[in-house]
Amino acid sequence: HQNQASCSAVSTLTCFCFLTCSGFSTRSGLVLQSRSTDVHQNLALEDWIDANVDLQRRSVLLLWRNRPAVVIGRHQNPWAECDLKAMRRAGIALARRRSGGGTVFHDLGNLNLTFFASKKAYDRQRNLKVVTEALRRLRPELDVRATDRLDIILNGHYKISGTASRLSRQSSYHHCTLLHSADRSALSAVLRPSCPGIHSNATPSVPSPVANLIDHAPSLQWEELVEGVAEQYNKGSTDSGTVLVDPSDETLFPDVGRLEAELRGWNWTFGKTPKFSVETQLQLPEARRSGRLQVDVKNGRIDGCSIDAPADWICERLSGELSAVLVGERFCPNAAAAAVAALLRCENRRMRELCAAVLQVMG
Amino acid sequence: MAMRAAVRCLSAANFSSRLPQLSSAAQLSATRLLWRSGSPRTLSSTSALSTALKFTDKHEWVQVEGGIGTVGISSYAQEALGDVVYCGLPEVGQRLEQMEEFGALESVKAASELYSPLTGEVTEINTELAENPGLVNKDCYAQGWLIKMTIEKPEELESLMDQAGYDKFIKSLEE
Repeated sequence: HQNQASCSAVSTLTCFCFLTCSGFSTRSGLVLQSRSTDVHQNLALEDWIDANVDLQRRSVLLLWRNRPAVVIGRHQNPWAECDLKAMRRAGIALARRRSGGGTVFHDLGNLNLTFFASKKAYDRQRNLKVVTEALRRLRPELDVRATDRLDIILNGHYKISGTASRLSRQSSYHHCTLLHSADRSALSAVLRPSCPGIHSNATPSVPSPVANLIDHAPSLQWEELVEGVAEQYNKGSTDSGTVLVDPSDETLFPDVGRLEAELRGWNWTFGKTPKFSVETQLQLPEARRSGRLQVDVKNGRIDGCSIDAPADWICERLSGELSAVLVGERFCPNAAAAAVAALLRCENRRMRELCAAVLQVMG
Repeated sequence: MAMRAAVRCLSAANFSSRLPQLSSAAQLSATRLLWRSGSPRTLSSTSALSTALKFTDKHEWVQVEGGIGTVGISSYAQEALGDVVYCGLPEVGQRLEQMEEFGALESVKAASELYSPLTGEVTEINTELAENPGLVNKDCYAQGWLIKMTIEKPEELESLMDQAGYDKFIKSLEE
């Protein structure tokens, strides 16, 4: 334990001894940096720290970034918030986090910061000050300010950071994004609904015009930003520097794999969606008229379904058959396609068209 | 005569000002409880009602009536939370262990986990909260109730705090 400075693996282990054994002398803060760019692994690491680290006397800052992903808030509706089909085509992951708030797009140009503290020490404005002060020191010409909504606004107009948080048994975490050099066109391409006609009381997002820091401070390097924030966080304490961690390492984070699997699972990602309904037109080019679809979705599955197709084009019995087959299935084109496979293969061309039109709505 | 005295005690706001506002239904059933019992000991005015409301250290309350516990959050909790914008509640029929996470309240401040005060099965959830989550702030002991559940292990109620104990607990937090 004595010469940990030279060996990063030992220093990481030691640092975790500090974190998990409350007997050690207090360190005011600790900065961790995740090696992983997998959104589910990083969210699992957050859960692990929240559940296992004694935060009553010390705080932790975790710095992380993800390969392209859309992250929705705890009580949001992914069908309403993002274009699932476009995301599948582009290989963009979807994750539901455990904190509240709205939908964000993550990529390697977006820095995530998670401030872990006891519930008593929970103070989001103070945390955001770490970011704004760091930016002021790095680039004093930038006007960065935290708002009442706990966004950080650049030059009075552009949102460069959004905030969300979670209060659990003993502790709290507050995390925020920070746009350094994200792909803005990818962002706007995916942050729109998967299908029209959604009626839901899930928590909505509040869209805002965004900008990257490098749009206004082109010389600001990623490493410079990360170091600047870590330094500001550690200001006034004897600690400096960050500790690199691998969130999939079960020797450091026992059971983290289970947390990751839960976050990655369909039940959490889609099944946790608050009840909603979809009411929309069905495109039936062959009929030269449209039909109507009404679906109730509960826990991500079709709870009720009614298909209204022109009665002189396809008989009601058949459209009723399709509705009945869909009830109980996941509101997802792949799952639904499997359920209606037999109908899709049937002789009746109009039935096939009706099925295709319904699947199209699901995204 | 003893009965009349009991009813007078009940009706003459004998409750300490620190007792929460109980719904009229709860007051009515408590009165009935006093009437039905023959033993003079149970005619002490606050005994039936003060055992009806118990608190956890997570600032949830549970009120037992006819073998069903109604669960909500305390005034201290709703104030700390800020305006509730969404209530994430469990399904009817879901079985909960004591201390198990059963949902979350989302407010402007954070998403706060809810922990089951008892072991039992969810019998009802407050569907009013879907349209009106603010009821949790406005009327946390009555219309802002969250779930109702069966009580599989009545002995768990012993481990919860009564009103006086909870008030002391809050005081200790504020120090």
